[in-house]
Amino acid sequence: MISRAAESCFWLHRYVERVESSARMLQVNLGLLLDLDLPAFERWRPVLIVAGEQPRFESLFGAKATDDAETVQDYLTWNEDNPVSILTSLRWGRENARTIRETISLEMWETLNAFWLWLSGKEARRLYRQDRHAFYQRVREHCLLFLGTWESTMPEGEAFDFMRLGLYLERAGQTARILDVKHHTLGPWTGQVETHVDNVQWLAILRSCSASEPFFKGNAQLSGPAVAAFLLLARGFPRSVRCCIDRAGDSLARIREQGPSPVAGERLGVRDDVGKRSATVLAMLRDHFAKRSIADVVASGLHEELTGLIEWVTDACDAVHADFFDPPVDALMASLVAPPQGRASELEG
Amino acid sequence: MRYPAARVATKDHPRSRAKMHVPSASPAPTTRGRRGPPPKPPTSSRGGAGAPSAGRKTGLFAGYRPPVDTYDEIFDARGAPRPGLDRVVRLLEGIGPNELRTRQRLADEAFLKSGVTFSVYADQRGVERIFPFDLVPRVVSAREWEPVRRGLEQRVRALNAFLADVYGDQRILAEGRIPRHLVEASKGFLPAMRGIRPPGGVYVHVAGIDLIRRPDGTLVVLEDNVRTPSGVSYVLENRTVMKRVLPRIFAEARVRPVDEYPLRLREALVSVSPVEPTGTRTVILTPGQHNSAYFEHTFLARRMGCDLVQGQDLFVWHDKVYVKTTRGPSRVDVIYRRVDDAFLDPEVFRADSLLGVPGLVRAYAKGNVAIANAIGNGVADDKAVYPFVPEMVRFYLSEEPLLPQVETYVCDREKDLSYVLANLPSLVVKSVDESGGYGMLMGPQASKKELAEHARRIRQSPRGYIAQPLVELSSCPTWCGNGIAPRRVDLRPYVVTGRSTWVLPGGLTRVALVEGSYVVNSSQGGGSKDTWVLEDQPR
Repeated sequence: MISRAAESCFWLHRYVERVESSARMLQVNLGLLLDLDLPAFERWRPVLIVAGEQPRFESLFGAKATDDAETVQDYLTWNEDNPVSILTSLRWGRENARTIRETISLEMWETLNAFWLWLSGKEARRLYRQDRHAFYQRVREHCLLFLGTWESTMPEGEAFDFMRLGLYLERAGQTARILDVKHHTLGPWTGQVETHVDNVQWLAILRSCSASEPFFKGNAQLSGPAVAAFLLLARGFPRSVRCCIDRAGDSLARIREQGPSPVAGERLGVRDDVGKRSATVLAMLRDHFAKRSIADVVASGLHEELTGLIEWVTDACDAVHADFFDPPVDALMASLVAPPQGRASELEG
Repeated sequence: MRYPAARVATKDHPRSRAKMHVPSASPAPTTRGRRGPPPKPPTSSRGGAGAPSAGRKTGLFAGYRPPVDTYDEIFDARGAPRPGLDRVVRLLEGIGPNELRTRQRLADEAFLKSGVTFSVYADQRGVERIFPFDLVPRVVSAREWEPVRRGLEQRVRALNAFLADVYGDQRILAEGRIPRHLVEASKGFLPAMRGIRPPGGVYVHVAGIDLIRRPDGTLVVLEDNVRTPSGVSYVLENRTVMKRVLPRIFAEARVRPVDEYPLRLREALVSVSPVEPTGTRTVILTPGQHNSAYFEHTFLARRMGCDLVQGQDLFVWHDKVYVKTTRGPSRVDVIYRRVDDAFLDPEVFRADSLLGVPGLVRAYAKGNVAIANAIGNGVADDKAVYPFVPEMVRFYLSEEPLLPQVETYVCDREKDLSYVLANLPSLVVKSVDESGGYGMLMGPQASKKELAEHARRIRQSPRGYIAQPLVELSSCPTWCGNGIAPRRVDLRPYVVTGRSTWVLPGGLTRVALVEGSYVVNSSQGGGSKDTWVLEDQPR
């Protein structure tokens, strides 16, 4: 498919995933604060850190404002100077969808457009003022509706897999970030004795990943290592980092397998090494998880592990970009060195 | 795309264009009670009451009267439906004002939800608006449409022959039928295209020929658009919404379908491909999502099943065009471009263009790619060349023109120039290479200062201006929030040409929604209507 369209597929799903993830985290944090009597600085600052927005926020509103619940929520939900606010992410998600309307299904477009019309309209603002919890819930529902519509209406193929690749790489990063909240709230975690406050927080983190029920179904006891093990290593839970990497890897493999398009036929200058760099990075990640145990993670430090993972995921995204989205024209021309045969006779005939 | 790209306006979009015709008749009614009686007849500021009512209109059209001295599309001067339209008028009458109001709201919601919008440039964030849609259709009988269809076909054939000639032997110039300097001075004339024969000899793959109706009822050509005419997506979307909100009426009305347009266009494009049809890769080239017609580009790509590309997605290697795909480069054979000539190839035209593809013209000249519409078509829709179109019909086709056009004074001709300067207050003056109503003077409404200023400019560069007498646009019944009132309309039919020519039944009817206004431009209160060309055999 057209490289630029593939890039928009990838980013469309990254943005929608980002919207859902932010809404979930804000919603869970609201609930958490009801259960705990945390010092002011521990209430909303971690959410800013996880979003990677603490520096910009402080430069805009001052360091003191990180204590202010309304300012932080407003910033993460509505602020258009914040590149990852819910509103901005959705705007860009929709812009990407708009550039590939010929690629996505009509239903996906209509679902996303209805979401945008709602979020940018008065009704969403009213709900935000009146019932914050219900507001974030609605945002999440819209995202899930979009993802369900996508799976139910989009034909399988390259475009579908680029969307899936974007979705799971973004989600892997988001889960890693959420798990890291603990570090930013209570400082370095050693896996030692845990308090009531710890437990409530671990529970909140599970909820942030829609993971509390799946976690307890697995008969696990609530503890730091158990939660970290679940969110990092669980197989088949769609938000565990490992599962996200597996799914992203599957999509990448399918993208690489797909043959030349029938229209282009033998005129395509196919490169055998297509997607090689991305595949290498993802293979390393998969390999890492295959060998990793939670004891290794505790030993090396959870925060360090997560920081490493987040960087790794970023590398994977960069590799996908270089492999598929922005191939240098020189390289493309080099792949065409032998002019395709058969064309000249076609023209003469 | 992660970041917004540069914004570029296309000149030829119908929405970015003001088309004005000076009112010579009375304004429409100004007062109407919210729940009061049906709309009152227009009161004239110039004397003369509204047309005498035949008094037979009921339901939706009760009390409807077109302005005096205006041709109404649906009703004659006595208030009776025009020939062939009775059946449809009876169907429409059955809808009450309340029901119409509800249906109109449903239609507006449908447009917003499906994202049938255009961008407004003024706002940095590119606010999208829906193109206002009026539910009352403009109806054309089969009998009336047939000669229009033939006239359009003829006109496009002549324009195509003209382009092949001016970029070839230039017979028409050699024989003095069109002044050579007029053509050579046209900004749309690109000498670099001379001697390049486009695949299949087709220049005008898509034409939008703007028609208006004189008070005497004749449809006349106001201008030709043979570069990148747009608006056809609205014709198709209007129809879709119309069917959804007025299904019962639509089912009874027997209207010719418009849905096949994308397939016809695709067929036409593939028919001029330099390679065999089955192996042809056709792409649509768009300036990007900030272009005001972007919705249309995506719409056509979806409905034609082609890839939508931007300049950055293409490159030229050894005079062949390739698109960058995730699997590597892939050959492109046909480009339906919605990018203006000037931006197409920085090697030949504007060097600062980021929207084009370096080397594209070389590939085109070698015959390795078909480009629709052809490069250099601007010379054929230059406003100063327009007066010579009837001459082209006679010269190339040995036929008499079937469609009349508006009388035009070319200031470049001395005789015309003195007439224009002497009669400026009664004329409309247009700048030849500008669209969007820029550089236009409405004589009757202009101040003395404006007249003097324009006279000075015309004297300075006569080639840059033409003048036309004022033309009264026809009216059509239109929903105005409380009832039905007359509003001015024009019509842009679309003509698709590959190995053969096909005319879309109807076209885009634009309507000046503001009372008494003649501006059909959407940014100034213009909207559109569904255009119904009826099947000829009553059921």
